[in-house]
Amino acid sequence: MDYGYGGNTSYGAQGGADGGGFLGGSQAGSQDTPGGGKKYGQDTLRPVTIKQLLDATIPYPDADPKIDDASLTQAHFIGQVRQVSPQATNTTYKVDDGTAVIDVKQWVDSDAAVDDEKYVPKEGDYVHVYGKLKEFNGKRHIGPQAIRPVTDFNEINYHLLSATAVHLYFARGPPGQANGGVKSEGDGLFVDGNAGGPNGVGGRKLPAGMSAMTKRIYEFLQNSPQNNEGLHVHDIARQLNVPSNEVFKSGDELILQGFIYTTIDDETWAVLE
Amino acid sequence: MTEQTPRINSLYLEAFTGQTVMITGKVSQIRGETAVIDANGEVTVLLNRESHLRPGTAVEIVGKVNQDLTVKVLKSTNMGSEIDFSIVNAVVDATHRYKEIFYADNK
Repeated sequence: MDYGYGGNTSYGAQGGADGGGFLGGSQAGSQDTPGGGKKYGQDTLRPVTIKQLLDATIPYPDADPKIDDASLTQAHFIGQVRQVSPQATNTTYKVDDGTAVIDVKQWVDSDAAVDDEKYVPKEGDYVHVYGKLKEFNGKRHIGPQAIRPVTDFNEINYHLLSATAVHLYFARGPPGQANGGVKSEGDGLFVDGNAGGPNGVGGRKLPAGMSAMTKRIYEFLQNSPQNNEGLHVHDIARQLNVPSNEVFKSGDELILQGFIYTTIDDETWAVLE
Repeated sequence: MTEQTPRINSLYLEAFTGQTVMITGKVSQIRGETAVIDANGEVTVLLNRESHLRPGTAVEIVGKVNQDLTVKVLKSTNMGSEIDFSIVNAVVDATHRYKEIFYADNK
């Protein structure tokens, strides 16, 4: 993926100044909201369907849109170009992904060198669009960072599945431990049955990307009887019947992320609540 | 033009009669004005002048489901021979299971 302008990768520049950080007039800067306490590192690039973009709520003009209550900075989707309208200042592509149609407005950069190699979308092409959702006079469009041709049509289906997975992650929480330890790798993407309340009682939700082992250990620590000293690594390993080094590895991850802490020694852990 | 074309396969034809849908399938037969495609079961499609289906390859059809469960082709896009139909069916399944991000009921 190529995020052309670089404006959105400048995490460092936004880090220090809470709320007041308008720097350099980069495109990314315009999404800052005064006093909003925008947190550093919250830029996201989320796979979506066009229907989600049209359904997204925009709390007030120029605010980041929200989908499933999660704020959206950059989005990407795949659709077929229905219409190309070249204008003086921009080219508008109508892109259709079967869920809805949205305009993608690519501004003409008159300073840019003419590049014959550059991909120019044509009617009927399938394209992968990366960009920001904008609203102007009540009509939504996309300001693209990049438009890439789709050459392997399986990508369309991969994309729709990943949009679904991310939607379910935000709408229902991360996938919980599969019921009864029956982990079905293939279907794991779609949370069946146990979608309601992941991780059971009282605990916080683990972020996505944690390994199954890590989730299992966290859940075990939450749910097993213990005193305030927590549990020793070897106890955990024995009771879950897994090698100690696996437990150490996952434990380090959980400690690093602040979900558990060490108590009487480095090898005894309790859940941080 | 309908802006919403839910992805379906042969199993969903009846539920979507009268609606415009999107079907990805493998072309199995072409007979003049009609063709049969395999989209988790057979679907008979009524071709238009612009459709150029190639037997054995995948095609994505946007069309309207008739009362007799044939599909009138409005637009077809050739998808080549590399399409993995297990993923296509997973997408159809997700479309209807989590339709909130794919389509609104009754248009």
